[in-house]
Amino acid sequence: MTTQTGTFPYMRRAEKSKFLSWALTTDHKRIGILYLVTAFFFFLVGGIEALLIRLQLAAPGAEVLGPDAYNQVFTMHGMTMIFLGAMPIAIGFANYMVPLMIGAKDMVFPKLNALSYWMFIFGGIFMYSSFLLGGAPDKGWFAYAPMTMPAYSPGMRMDFWALGVIVLVVSSTVGSINIIVTILQMRARGMRITQVPMFVWNMLITSFIGVFAFPSVLVAAALLLLDRQLGTQFFNTGAGGDAMLWQHIFWFFGHPEVYILILPAMGIMSEVVPVFSRKPLFGFTIIAFSTAAIGVLSFMVWAHHMFSTGMSQIALLFFAADSFLIGVPTGIKIFSWLATMWGGKIRFTTSMLFAMGFIVMFVIGGITGIHVASVPLDWQVTDSYYVVGHFHYVLFGGTILGFLAGLFYWFPKMSGRLLGERMGKLSFWTIMIGMNMVFLPMHYLGLAGMPRRVYTYPADAGWAFWNMFETWGAFITATGFLFIIINIVMTLRRPATHEADPWDGYTLEWATSSPPPPENFDSLPPVRSRRPLWDAKHPDMADTH
Amino acid sequence: MNQANIKPRTGLDSAKVATIVVLGSETFFFGTLVSAYLFMRGVYPWPLDGAPLSRLVIPAANTLLLLVSVLTMYLALRAARAGGKAALVTWSTVTLALGLVFVGGQVLEYTSNGMMPGDQGFGGVFLTLMGFHALHLLAGVVMLALIAMRARLGDFTPRRHTAVEVGAWFWYYVAGVWAVLFTILYLI
Repeated sequence: MTTQTGTFPYMRRAEKSKFLSWALTTDHKRIGILYLVTAFFFFLVGGIEALLIRLQLAAPGAEVLGPDAYNQVFTMHGMTMIFLGAMPIAIGFANYMVPLMIGAKDMVFPKLNALSYWMFIFGGIFMYSSFLLGGAPDKGWFAYAPMTMPAYSPGMRMDFWALGVIVLVVSSTVGSINIIVTILQMRARGMRITQVPMFVWNMLITSFIGVFAFPSVLVAAALLLLDRQLGTQFFNTGAGGDAMLWQHIFWFFGHPEVYILILPAMGIMSEVVPVFSRKPLFGFTIIAFSTAAIGVLSFMVWAHHMFSTGMSQIALLFFAADSFLIGVPTGIKIFSWLATMWGGKIRFTTSMLFAMGFIVMFVIGGITGIHVASVPLDWQVTDSYYVVGHFHYVLFGGTILGFLAGLFYWFPKMSGRLLGERMGKLSFWTIMIGMNMVFLPMHYLGLAGMPRRVYTYPADAGWAFWNMFETWGAFITATGFLFIIINIVMTLRRPATHEADPWDGYTLEWATSSPPPPENFDSLPPVRSRRPLWDAKHPDMADTH
Repeated sequence: MNQANIKPRTGLDSAKVATIVVLGSETFFFGTLVSAYLFMRGVYPWPLDGAPLSRLVIPAANTLLLLVSVLTMYLALRAARAGGKAALVTWSTVTLALGLVFVGGQVLEYTSNGMMPGDQGFGGVFLTLMGFHALHLLAGVVMLALIAMRARLGDFTPRRHTAVEVGAWFWYYVAGVWAVLFTILYLI
């Protein structure tokens, strides 16, 4: 009954009211769309915060925000993009696509799925309500001790941080467990675990990283609350607590989190690049193993965020070596995508353009990542804009461009309508120009000594020109996103074509109508390889395994 | 859609697969707490270093209690597998009661030693580590109460009693966590 109507069974009225049928839905496709829409909204809010940051930094001594508001806005920008934007967008894509790609009719626990969504939106509203109740968290998303202790952070700001993190992380944990068990249990007959589409495999690894990394930040937030509310002394340096303990616990979660943010986008890459190159993914097995290797290694590099804290020589060497090492499986993926494109019949759709943009931008972020993995170089540039430039090339140039590739690729499946290609290409070039204007000069500013997390800078430092340049870039990037929103709105106003397989795809999500019916599939093609739909459409060219 | 298309691919019930993942996650949770404790242990003078053996009476009694509860939990599970409804109700209730006595013992240990959350390390560590452990145990108590209720209603058969299997796994796990906590807090 539940899975047939896609709502909670005892809610008869839900089938009649449009609002209730969404609010009480347990259908993975609807929950996926709810996730994507909500997360995109928060992503826009985080983007507005980024614009405010850029306005404040546009000129030396500007007073757009002032120090206190600036601290709240840059903290919430980070929290929003990570916990309310990027992570839920990945979960949204996974919610919609994983069951379809493995030929299942829903997630394994549909009601838990609804629970994770509602916890997510509650956590987001809770976190943002702090702006009205004495101010938002203002110590950065990393919330370093002892700045978070009552002596330095009176009021409720950091309590909002801690409680919000707990709610959001529990929500993500529940979602991750659901994705893992769905992939392990619900695959269509014949689909071996080594034959799942690469996006599904990446979501499996991502979810495992999450399930093992989230507990750590849960403990961090819980201990912070206990320190603040009950007077325990884990991080209170004034009473013998240890600020380093906070950094270890936080970054033991914080670094795996980076891979939680990038692996789903890499999974999208591994779907988009082959389909638009008319070739199977090059080195599927090697990519699968490199994803798993990233999963394991991501737990061994956390202290490279702490090179300047006076760790022992051995620890520095260990974490630097591991950080270099994790570049290897990441590089393998880049070469696999390039080899997939090599000799292929490339179709330059907007989705493919974003995917190719990902490769170029992510390589820049990856190379600066190797730079900051080197201890002496990191000592030079740590806490400067060099690091900000580095991780924005990874998280914007990687994660966000990957998500946009996924948006243009899967939007036809979710809505039955193709997004406008001309408008799409316009948004692609606008975003590419804009993001490079914002993030490329950051490397120079960092080397020139501009510190991050500070609300202004002196006029005689010589940083004014590039800061103004970056602010213009930020607004150009925002214009690109405006084009995307216009594109989505205009497309949704057109009648649906319901084309099942507009890209001549490989995987099972294209084997059903667009959007799919509540039960997903009438019948499934036989699954004998990694490209079951390709095999069904082109029996003469079927993959042999 | 053809139901036969969706058979659990691991051969295990999905609830069991999920439980394995949850317990893996829990291990990282308690692992982080234990790491925090070991980090602090080097910082503070530890009140239990050189304390008389009598100081261990309550925690030792509690250890024994949990050990017995693991046994009664196993008896409940065996009853479920054999379809012994009355035995399942009895043994899950006994396990539940032992769990509650254990939590009472923990409260006694905390209050009778005059611990405070803020006192030099140990009070805060005890409150946090044992507090989270006790919360897990109480979650287990709730599960057992539900199991006992459903058993009375005749919800379980020798073939279908996943809730009892999963409840038992959880109970063993929480008892195992206690063994680790007891060792590192009191014995080393």
